[in-house]
Amino acid sequence: MIELMHVTKSYGNKTAVDDLNLSIRGGEMFAFLGPNGAGKTTTIKMMCGLLFPTIGTVRIAGFDIATHGQDARQRISYVPDTPFLYEKLTGREVLNFIADMYHMPREKAKRRIDEMIELFNLYLFVDDLTQNYSHGMRQRTVFAAALLHEPDVLIVDEPTVGLDPRSIRLLKDTLRNETKRGATVFLSTHSLDIAQELSDRIGIITQGRLIGCGTLDELRKQAEIHGNLEEVFLTLTEKEGPAPLTPDGSEQLVQIQAQG
Amino acid sequence: MSPAIFFQKLRFRLAANAFTLLWNHAWWRIVIMGYCCAMLWGFLFLLSSHGFHELKTRWNIPLQQSLIDLPFDMFFFTLTILLIFSTGLILYSSLFAGRESEFLLASPMPDDHVFSYKLQGAIAFSSWGFLLLGSPILIAYGLEVRDGAPWYYYVAMPLFFLGFLLIPGYIGAIACLLVVNILPRHRKHFLVGSIVFAIGLAIYWSVSWYQEARAFGLGSRPWFESFLNELSYLGGRLVPYHWMTRGLRYAAIGRAEAMLYNLALVWSHGLFLYVVTVWLATKLYRRGFNRIASGGALRKKYGGHWMDNTLTALLFPLDPQTRMLIVKDFRAFRRDPAQWAQILIFLGMGSMYFLFMRRFYESDLRYSFRIGISLLTLIATGFLMCAYTGRFIYPMLSLEGSKFWILGLLPLDRSRLLVGKFVFSAIGCLIAGEFLIVFANYMLGMPWLIVVVHSVTIALLGLGFSALSVGLGACMPNFRETDPSKVAIGFGGTVNLIVGLMFLTMIVVLLPMPLQLFYVQSENPILSPDMVPWYYWIGIALGVSVGVGTIIAPMRAGVIALRRMEF
Repeated sequence: MIELMHVTKSYGNKTAVDDLNLSIRGGEMFAFLGPNGAGKTTTIKMMCGLLFPTIGTVRIAGFDIATHGQDARQRISYVPDTPFLYEKLTGREVLNFIADMYHMPREKAKRRIDEMIELFNLYLFVDDLTQNYSHGMRQRTVFAAALLHEPDVLIVDEPTVGLDPRSIRLLKDTLRNETKRGATVFLSTHSLDIAQELSDRIGIITQGRLIGCGTLDELRKQAEIHGNLEEVFLTLTEKEGPAPLTPDGSEQLVQIQAQG
Repeated sequence: MSPAIFFQKLRFRLAANAFTLLWNHAWWRIVIMGYCCAMLWGFLFLLSSHGFHELKTRWNIPLQQSLIDLPFDMFFFTLTILLIFSTGLILYSSLFAGRESEFLLASPMPDDHVFSYKLQGAIAFSSWGFLLLGSPILIAYGLEVRDGAPWYYYVAMPLFFLGFLLIPGYIGAIACLLVVNILPRHRKHFLVGSIVFAIGLAIYWSVSWYQEARAFGLGSRPWFESFLNELSYLGGRLVPYHWMTRGLRYAAIGRAEAMLYNLALVWSHGLFLYVVTVWLATKLYRRGFNRIASGGALRKKYGGHWMDNTLTALLFPLDPQTRMLIVKDFRAFRRDPAQWAQILIFLGMGSMYFLFMRRFYESDLRYSFRIGISLLTLIATGFLMCAYTGRFIYPMLSLEGSKFWILGLLPLDRSRLLVGKFVFSAIGCLIAGEFLIVFANYMLGMPWLIVVVHSVTIALLGLGFSALSVGLGACMPNFRETDPSKVAIGFGGTVNLIVGLMFLTMIVVLLPMPLQLFYVQSENPILSPDMVPWYYWIGIALGVSVGVGTIIAPMRAGVIALRRMEF
């Protein structure tokens, strides 16, 4: 469902993503982990067609995002780390707007909107302008909008930031249900607990390179330890060593401070 | 639902909700803004009616003949330039820096429709002011030409405007797309090319003007007309602003066929440019978005810029914290091309006025008219300062937005935040304003007393506008908005503009105007101060008091509001 073939992305003379190869099948939950500045968001933006790979190909549901972007995006829902909502629309108007955007038939749209309102418990505020929403209310509305048209691919960037435990539980259940429905979920997160609990496979990226990819057991073997995902992650990223120095001698933008 | 209808539906819904919200919570804001617009419209209409009437009756200038094309050509030419730049700049901000664009580009909406939706917004946003300023002038013209223009003149006028706005709007959009696609990768080539082109053009025009000036005499009316002819030579019948001028004049004198021909010219070119722009957008919009996002290095080294260092050195009398805040504001301003490019446009248009209009009038008009022109120049400079502080200074505190808690927690007296912004604003106003007014008065040959009074007036206006914008900006902040132009046209920005214009009127009426009337009546350029009647000095003292009060009062109100502010 998602294929990245030899994808490289450069910003000027800096390489953000380096020869990334990834294939994610339908109905799979894939967690994408990495330190800040490792290339996760760049990868996601290339999958949505917001950025073009410098080298390589991205395919979504068989469509090359560079040549058939509109077809690919018809099958994607993307929830960024700071999602956008029209402040001067109500939650219900946002959902109607999304239904129109994806050309949903009127009856189906109405049914799905009601389902989403119930699923995410939006009753109390769905007819208020979104400018008055709290972070949690916004996040629930954004997920309702993202799932409204039953996307084949759901791409989520840091979904749990700022959410209370109940909302996180709801989010986890929703993502599980999506994979059961057959959707592919690409989850970029720093929350190792959620990645370990939910995902079928985990990819670890650092300094633009995919340094590990597989189930937790496969990653344990690669790291040669038997700990939890946190220990595996730290071991693998530590093996890569500290971030290299840039030509002017200063440190690279971000590096992880591995402990223990 | 087609994407075009989809976006119109979205636009309507957003506008309707925003209006309902404002009407329910602060209907008086809508009333005040409507009232102010109506007042401005009415004032311009009366002024234009009077002006056209004077031209027709006192100066015997036939309004129906092609002589009237000259000022209209200048007006629409200015409009064209301003709209090209303003649409391009607004479009750049909304297409490549806005979160809505990222959201829409990640959706299945076609790129050209996203682009068109944003472009329509940019054109509407950049042109409504010109409709407000242009319509009263043209209606006044229609009423004064011959025995009044036929009915279809008034019908054709909005059609001409609408069609005409498309042309500079789409040119600005094409320029924006091309710059975004070329600049990030070929910045040096682009800059060098632009500089070489500008130098080449400047040399060509300088040589050309020099030859004209030798032939006709620099500053003479034939020289100015020759200059305009040269402009016509560059475009002649091919330039859109001339189609507007001719089309409207033909409509006004009842030549319907000629009017329709020019209207068709305007619309056909506007629509042709629309097709070209949308075609380019399908090819270049997403590509440009990618280039903007990935054009630079992952990490840029900031700080240590010579401009920041120079400003820091110049501000040595201030305490380090205030100095740091001023340099912070300057740095943010310097790194935002959409901000300083608008100031360059302001300055460019102002320079045109000072370079050309003064010469045009000087050679033909009497001393009393020159006095009048110097007063108009002062008012124009004051108006520019008022617009500058309202557009760029007023939104500064609001733009701190969600980051305001950082400033709020700093171990410094919050009043320094305002003092820093006030000094930042006042420096710019005083340097530019004083230079322009002294330069203009010198060229007009004004007596030194008028130069001094004008300098004092500009100083009071510069400091007063800065205090108003900073103080009212702190009293009525809008921390939700991230677009400075939208903060400036919001309620607080409108109040600031109205108060600023009232302040400008009061200062001009109290300080320079009585003195200039005295000079006009005496017709004597070498009057000494002791020949000026004592009551003029009272007016000047009163004006200075009003000015000082306007500097202190809003700053005090702003400091109090800022100290009480919760975040």
